[in-house]
Amino acid sequence: MASDVSQPVGQAPFPENNVIGWIIQLVWIIVFVVLMFYGQRIQMRIMLKEIEGSLIRLKMMRDKGREIAISTVKEISKLDEDPTPRIDRFLEHVDISPVSLDPAGIIQRLEHLIDVRELRFKDEVRLMAPGVDEAQVNNLTNVLEAALALNQIYKSIRHFYLMGKKTLSIYIIMQIQMILPLVMKESEAFANALMAFTLGQPIGDGIGALVAAKLMVGHEKRRIAKDIVVSKVPIEGRTAYVLKAEGPGGNVGKPGEAVKNIIEENEGKISLVIVVDAAQKLEGEKVGEIAEGVGVAIGGIGVEKYKVEEVAVKYKIPVNAILIKEDIKDVVSTMRKEIADAADAVIERIKRLIRERTKEGETLIIAGIGNTIGIGQ
Amino acid sequence: MSREASAARRISSLFMVLVFLMLVLSLTALYQIFEAYSKTKTLDIASVMLSVSAIALSIYILSMMRGKPVKLGFEPPKVSTVLECLNCNYRKVRKFERGDYIFKDAGLCPKCNSKMFISSIYREEEKGK
Repeated sequence: MASDVSQPVGQAPFPENNVIGWIIQLVWIIVFVVLMFYGQRIQMRIMLKEIEGSLIRLKMMRDKGREIAISTVKEISKLDEDPTPRIDRFLEHVDISPVSLDPAGIIQRLEHLIDVRELRFKDEVRLMAPGVDEAQVNNLTNVLEAALALNQIYKSIRHFYLMGKKTLSIYIIMQIQMILPLVMKESEAFANALMAFTLGQPIGDGIGALVAAKLMVGHEKRRIAKDIVVSKVPIEGRTAYVLKAEGPGGNVGKPGEAVKNIIEENEGKISLVIVVDAAQKLEGEKVGEIAEGVGVAIGGIGVEKYKVEEVAVKYKIPVNAILIKEDIKDVVSTMRKEIADAADAVIERIKRLIRERTKEGETLIIAGIGNTIGIGQ
Repeated sequence: MSREASAARRISSLFMVLVFLMLVLSLTALYQIFEAYSKTKTLDIASVMLSVSAIALSIYILSMMRGKPVKLGFEPPKVSTVLECLNCNYRKVRKFERGDYIFKDAGLCPKCNSKMFISSIYREEEKGK
């Protein structure tokens, strides 16, 4: 009881003879000083650690993607030769974009590069698996492209991680750490895509092609542009040229070229162009929601979009768009039920649009955009 | 990358030791505070808050470090194929089979013997995703 009285009121809880108390006080002071001077460095280390964890995951994805690509080629190919070295070479493919200092004619140059790239990819697949049919060539090309994307994502993240580690620049590390959740989401989408392409299942991006296929089924088809088929379909007392990429192989074709050819064939006497495509939804929006608008809803680099815009301006043809909302993950993974179910609602929207925007007897174009993997016609 | 992975594991174990050390020190500090309180009947609120925060932080970090199964996105989803009869609208849903595609002929209808075709292929999102 006497010792209790000797302790002054309001003093630190550790008596002067308490060694552990002094150690703890000292540790706290050291922690405080360390955090004051090295706080940013510690934060940087934590961020690097987080990037490292994601990098390990990306590497696992890349390796698994490569493994799936090799096993798929081995399964389809009739050759005894091991496709591994050829696939490894393919996974290091680089695209060099055209010079944009003089933008005149850049679209044509870009289109040429895309054509060469596609031809090169398909040739590579034919060399890996000779004798396979066109649909399988397209699907295998898609598989390899997804594996290539996973490899490229992994390598660019590794580049920034190592650069950040080497320079210890918080700005480099912060940039990569901030975009990491989106990068991981995109990589998972490509991993899902790889599975869908391997099995030849329809993907979310194919909803435009599915709508067009539903409209053109049972009607005569002809090829109008590279990998694009068209049917003349009577709809609501009007004549519609319905077009989509030729399925069921993984293909997007050249829808812009096809729209241009149909308009030129009809000497510009087209009263409406309706473009149906998948669009990335905003957070909070439902998957499979339908939106309408004006403009050319064709994704990608912009070459096909440019062609439609150019010909639409030339003949003053209104272009309407119907969009089906999807998450980035749904676009390249196996089509979700909500998206597949939206196809019939889209057809109803198209019919309403035709009734409201055109007169009976007129001619219009309905373009179903997207990768037609797993969708025939 | 294997070197990177092993480096990551090394950092991880060092980090774990540090977190444990922080937890032990915080618990000791808390014990000391209450021991002092029993003698002096004076409670140092700031020290209590610091120790409790350190304990909470270390427990949180340790719970975050628990091993979770890594999902890469290559897991095959549950995909269904819908077969439909053009004549009597008979529908049949089965598991997706390799080679299935929308508008592919799917044999004859068991009800009216007309042609059947694949009308839809889709995956159903697992609940909670």
